[in-house]
Amino acid sequence: MPIYEIVFYAFSLVMLAGAVGVITVRNPVYAALCLVLTFFSASAIWMLLEAEFLAIILIVVYVGAVMVLFLFVVMMLDINVAPLKEGFIRYLPVGILVAALMAAELLVLIWSKGRFEAGAYPLPAPNPEEYSNTKAVGEWLFTNYLLAFEVAGVILLVAIIAAVALTLRHRAGGHRQNPSHQVRVERDERVRLVKMKPEPRQGS
Amino acid sequence: MLAEYFPVLVFLAISVVLGAILIATGGILGALLGHSQPNSEKSSPYECGFEAFEDTRSKFDVRYYLVAILFIIFDLEIAFFIPWALVLDKLGVFGLAAMTIFVLELIIGFFFVWKKGALEWE
Repeated sequence: MPIYEIVFYAFSLVMLAGAVGVITVRNPVYAALCLVLTFFSASAIWMLLEAEFLAIILIVVYVGAVMVLFLFVVMMLDINVAPLKEGFIRYLPVGILVAALMAAELLVLIWSKGRFEAGAYPLPAPNPEEYSNTKAVGEWLFTNYLLAFEVAGVILLVAIIAAVALTLRHRAGGHRQNPSHQVRVERDERVRLVKMKPEPRQGS
Repeated sequence: MLAEYFPVLVFLAISVVLGAILIATGGILGALLGHSQPNSEKSSPYECGFEAFEDTRSKFDVRYYLVAILFIIFDLEIAFFIPWALVLDKLGVFGLAAMTIFVLELIIGFFFVWKKGALEWE
């Protein structure tokens, strides 16, 4: 099936280009958009593996929500690029050393497992016609990985509390409506009736 | 299964080609036909005659971040419901109990957010 290979290589190429763009583009907003492209291509490759649910979740959660958060952070930090570049030459040897070490570790690890040989990654066998990736995820998630699922819920709870604790600031003089107070308001709080004698019209 | 997604691929290819054509024709026609007289005054910021008050890239308020992160958390929670709903008839009461615990954890968070007033915009 040549179209499968064509689609795979096309999306892989776009994904690699996007990933390179993330770290080379100067404007951080453009870098975030490159990351969106990378996520999108990864999602297409997952779709080729018939992992429909994961592919759609990658789009919805990462492209739709997490990247918006990244953009907010980029815009909130007010990044000035020039000070970040200070000392680039001074730290360059250390940086190259660390990068070379990490690359060497990865290469040795991958080589020793024979992962560069042809045929190390065979095409996955096609699933039967009635196979549903979403159902498979559900069956595994709620039985074998139940503990991980519940722990994920607790982590989300911690994330809620942390986000509120870190960012919620009630500012003085904020105009906030209190509906129950609005409903319970009495006439005396709004209008004051004053008794006074009628006055004759001037000059008559 | 993949054959069902072929129309999506066709749409994707058409939009990529269309975008490339539009950008290419715009760039080529613009370079051929347009006048280009760059001037430093043309690219300077113009704000109704007076000097610009501040930089265009002003800081975002942190409150938008709170709204976004709460959205992500509850978005993720909903995402977990989809595979659960598909296999609920197989899982039975066990699956219902598992999801109840999960939802209770997030309802605690929801009430926390609500009572803190984080859902209100002041």
